[in-house]
Amino acid sequence: MKPFGYARPRSVAEATRLLGDDAVAIAGGTDQLGLMKSGIAVPERLVSLSGLTDLDGWTRERGKGLRIGALTPLTDLETSAGFARILPVVPQALALAATPQLRTMGTVGGNLLQKTRCWYYRDEAFPCWLKGGTRCFALEGDNRHHAVLGAEECVSASPSDLAPALIAYDASVELRGARGGRTIALADLYQAPHGAKRAEHTIRATEVLTAVRIPEAALARRATFLKAMDRKAWSFAVVSVSVAARVRDGKARDVRIVLGGVAPIPWRARSAETILEGRALDDATCRAAADGAFADAEPLKDNGHKVTIGRELVRRALRSLADA
Amino acid sequence: MAPKASSFVGPGALDVSFEVNGHPATVHIPPHRTLLDTLRETLGLTGAKKVCDEGTCGACTVLVDGKAVYSCMTLAIACEGRSVETVEGLARDGQLHPVQQAFIDHDAFQCGFCTPGQLMSIAALLRSNGAPSEEDVTRAVTGNLCRCGAYPNIVAAGVAAARKAGRA
Amino acid sequence: MTRVIRTRVEFEGNISEELAVIQGSDLTRWGPGHELSSVGKPVARADGAARVTGGAKYTQDLFLPGMLHARILRSPYPRARVRRVDASRALRLPGVRAVLHRFNAPRAAFRGEETIFREEVRFVGDEVAAVAAETAEIAAEALRLIEVEYEVLPFVVDLEEAIREGAPRLEEKGNVSESGTHKRGDSAKALKESKIVVDAAYRTSTQLHNSLETHGAVASWDGDRLTVWESTQHVFGVRQGLHLALRIPMTKIRVVCDFMGGGFGSKGGVGKYTIVAALFTRQLGAPVRCVLSREEENLAAGNRSATLQHLRLGWKDGRVHGAEHHSWSNSGQGRWVADPTGPTDTLYDFTNVTSKSYRVVTNTGALASFRAPGYVEGTFALESALDELAQRVAIDPLTLRTRHLVTGKDPKTGMRYSFKRLAECYEIGAREIGWDKRKDGGVRGSTPQRRRGIGMASQIWGGGGGPPAYATVHINPDGTALLRTGTQDIGTGTRTVMAQICAEELRLDVDAVRVELGDTDGPYGPISAGSLTLASVGPAVRLAAADARTQLVALAAGILEVPAKELRLERGQVISSGAKTPLREVLKQVENFTVIGKGSRFPNPQETALKTFGAHFVSVEVDLRTGEIIPLHVVAVHDVGRIVNPRTAASQVEGGVIQALGFALTEERVLDLPTGRVLTADLESYKVPTVRDVPRITVRFVDQPDRVANNLGAKGLGEPPIIPTAAALANAVANATGVRVRTAPLTPARVLEAIALASAQR
Repeated sequence: MKPFGYARPRSVAEATRLLGDDAVAIAGGTDQLGLMKSGIAVPERLVSLSGLTDLDGWTRERGKGLRIGALTPLTDLETSAGFARILPVVPQALALAATPQLRTMGTVGGNLLQKTRCWYYRDEAFPCWLKGGTRCFALEGDNRHHAVLGAEECVSASPSDLAPALIAYDASVELRGARGGRTIALADLYQAPHGAKRAEHTIRATEVLTAVRIPEAALARRATFLKAMDRKAWSFAVVSVSVAARVRDGKARDVRIVLGGVAPIPWRARSAETILEGRALDDATCRAAADGAFADAEPLKDNGHKVTIGRELVRRALRSLADA
Repeated sequence: MAPKASSFVGPGALDVSFEVNGHPATVHIPPHRTLLDTLRETLGLTGAKKVCDEGTCGACTVLVDGKAVYSCMTLAIACEGRSVETVEGLARDGQLHPVQQAFIDHDAFQCGFCTPGQLMSIAALLRSNGAPSEEDVTRAVTGNLCRCGAYPNIVAAGVAAARKAGRA
Repeated sequence: MTRVIRTRVEFEGNISEELAVIQGSDLTRWGPGHELSSVGKPVARADGAARVTGGAKYTQDLFLPGMLHARILRSPYPRARVRRVDASRALRLPGVRAVLHRFNAPRAAFRGEETIFREEVRFVGDEVAAVAAETAEIAAEALRLIEVEYEVLPFVVDLEEAIREGAPRLEEKGNVSESGTHKRGDSAKALKESKIVVDAAYRTSTQLHNSLETHGAVASWDGDRLTVWESTQHVFGVRQGLHLALRIPMTKIRVVCDFMGGGFGSKGGVGKYTIVAALFTRQLGAPVRCVLSREEENLAAGNRSATLQHLRLGWKDGRVHGAEHHSWSNSGQGRWVADPTGPTDTLYDFTNVTSKSYRVVTNTGALASFRAPGYVEGTFALESALDELAQRVAIDPLTLRTRHLVTGKDPKTGMRYSFKRLAECYEIGAREIGWDKRKDGGVRGSTPQRRRGIGMASQIWGGGGGPPAYATVHINPDGTALLRTGTQDIGTGTRTVMAQICAEELRLDVDAVRVELGDTDGPYGPISAGSLTLASVGPAVRLAAADARTQLVALAAGILEVPAKELRLERGQVISSGAKTPLREVLKQVENFTVIGKGSRFPNPQETALKTFGAHFVSVEVDLRTGEIIPLHVVAVHDVGRIVNPRTAASQVEGGVIQALGFALTEERVLDLPTGRVLTADLESYKVPTVRDVPRITVRFVDQPDRVANNLGAKGLGEPPIIPTAAALANAVANATGVRVRTAPLTPARVLEAIALASAQR
């Protein structure tokens, strides 16, 4: 790792003042240090957010929904019985994410902002398009882990299990910059890298992600998280499926289907959601929606199985909402 | 010296103080030095092992403020003022910690290279959960790879240690 | 009496003849009914406390005063000529002490070459230069400052591409060379005569050892003596390698390995990193540490070759009439082949057999022995094919195997088996898994989309050991013992079982025996590989202890003034008719004398095949829609002669099964074909099993002493349990789903592909 300067501000305002193109934020460090050790990120300075204790923890206010501080360790959401009563899909997703140590170290904000695990991106020796190079090496290389949906110049797959689960609840994120804050839909924190935008995230270099918000209305949804992995634990998703809906009288409303591991960003299967709106979650309907979710899939030479597995997991997840 | 709130320290070395196995320690290190390297090379505590050095195997697991973390992915400077525990600190007054004894009794290691990490993961669990189930123990060591495949015995040892600790 | 014998030693496919020395006469084997107090007991590991407290010092843990750190610059290209190396910028970096490369390094012989830095680098990760610096960090930075001019050459990394017509030719005689063949009967004729022939290709992937402790050495030149601490399975092999590389006398070299963090076959001798450390310490006069990173480990420290295997099994008159097995192995830059055809040649009594094995050279890192090299791959193919045949002819797979059970003689060599209880393994395994409940086509699983099935496979392996191996036993004045032998404990529990054997013969408690091993200053011990340690070293240890006991009794006789034949030892006491004297009381009289017993391994009986046998039974559940395989239960039954320590033996078996599950389900080195780079050189993308990947495992031993093999009646166990698991699992998957997956690992993608193919054909 290249030596760097280090600061540990006590307030978000201070942090945003210190951040810049050569000064990047570090929270749990589980992704940032990995990027630095492998030479992918070479910042001059690190701004540790660990002193921003205000951002650690979650609150729920009736009528105002749920607010999760960006520095909340993943393990706190995973193991809190109170949180599980409000949003059980999150602990479900987190229990299958990474390892206990990484969940202890890693934070909500860090998880949402982690970079792709693409093995070409992570290997310094490949000057890939996402790193500013001219081409995507996965296209002609081994692309078993890569995207089947929504890819442009870069076919990397989005690694977060948490993001799809939160997006299924219409989460938004609060971003604070030196000149004030903004709140955007969590889904809009992501962009498929394309053209001049060679990044998976829309956060600016001087911004700090401070919190995630879930609107009160969404909390009435029930949800399921399913994940296919290459081994039984400690694997990024081959496919992850987060589905959420309000189910009343056997009919589904406000259906959300969000997929991880299949597109460069958490992938919302909108057309499949539309199929389900107001319908009973019977097997034929769920199957049709599952097919719909992957209707636009363009598998690469090594990842056709993601489509097969993804369809089945979507079907199962939707069916489980009916049974719940 | 703690980094000042609003300015940068480093990239050169500076003093960082934390507690190691109950004793205060001050090390003179640059900000990019990991806790693992600091323990092994600066403090001579070689129990935590460097296997992957990128947070994928668990052999470097230590406790920071009582929680199991990967020391290879923890900056030492981030431990300023905190408490760090390593496998060397598990035994007290010449008495093995129950989980250490259980590892011996259940043959929970072969080459032993992952053992310090496994022990610390289970020690952290025992501290937060007085009566962990087999499932709890299994979950606690999910992030600790063992290439020799001692897993069944590791879990058995963890469960036995929990029972013993529960009785004590 | 001292005698010299000739003995055959086999390592990595090479058989060489060595001389060994034996002294006195061998002891009578402990018979099946012989009552033993330490041997056969589940004794806890002798080094347990050291390993659980962090006190055990591994090579990686040595930080000597003034020590320098070496790092190696590796080729980014799979094949290139090194035209120029400019180290001047690296040398200007403060803290850098020296740089070695092919234009300035002294000659150093290594595996048939005269240098450790080739002119033509031949795989991504091949050694180009090395830096010694005051810290590892400086050394790493210096690597980036070395300028190398490469002339990039055509390359090929993939096994099947290398075989193909028109592939870049990597060696003068071509990329493919025949490495071994066996023929008995006339298989071509037999296959023509067969009514039914299974004809299928099986593939296995490159498996990476990923020992948690990477390869590494610390070397220190002190006066005219070189001391090397190395994480190795063979301290004497490292010494020999350094002697050849540096042309210094063996007596000036000491190699030490007290604790080591796994090897699984890959740490069989000197490495280039050892030589780098030794060259630097000689040049710079300070100790030098050269320890590989995880990535380097997975590029340049060995692997289990990927294979392509073509099996043909012909059926006539209710029997396998003919068998042909052709195998191609990706040896990378290795010069040998881990031959997969051994099981086909020897496991069953097939009359007409032809097997041929080919080495395929590619621009990838050299293979290294990996726990049962060749046999894991070959058993996967053979035992899968046999099940395919069983299904075609509608015979129970176990019945088919029993029908071809070899009794008496090894079908390849004609040598008589010393002891074989494979039939009992079948019986026990079938009972434990519930084979009688196995149904063709499997049974319903836990959900409608899941099916369950059962499969089994057999294994054969060596494990008989042999000379040379030596040990000494010192009796301390307090009656405790110090056992010295030059073997290593690579995690198998060698320290513990040797202490048990020694304690048994001396009638001491096991914890009264201290074992010092892993040191070339001790008596010679063989490589800890090939499942040969127990059967090679154990008998020598027993003899050394017996020699010490004889001397002790004689000494006690003199001191107690009782005839020796009226004395015996029991739990640290000298016992004569009616009287007990603590051994330490006796020894106190002659405190200035040390009883030293010595023992040597006697040769194996002539014309005898010393083999181990076993069978694994596996039940699985398979998700037909996601391709996920969930192993439920593995029953592992082994016939390895006497079990010296049932606890550590069971651990060995569990570990072998788990490592085999990695091979069967998740482990696969992935290469980027356009660049030849390894994409899975880390423990995130190369997936070894986690605790969650482990099913229920039942371990059973036949546990009867071999009636011919050595004075313990014990054979090796390190490798047998990794051999049959993958095949048994593939057979269970086929039973559950009705489809055959012929490529390991059986990933969800491959399972789904096989299911799709089968439904398309229906």
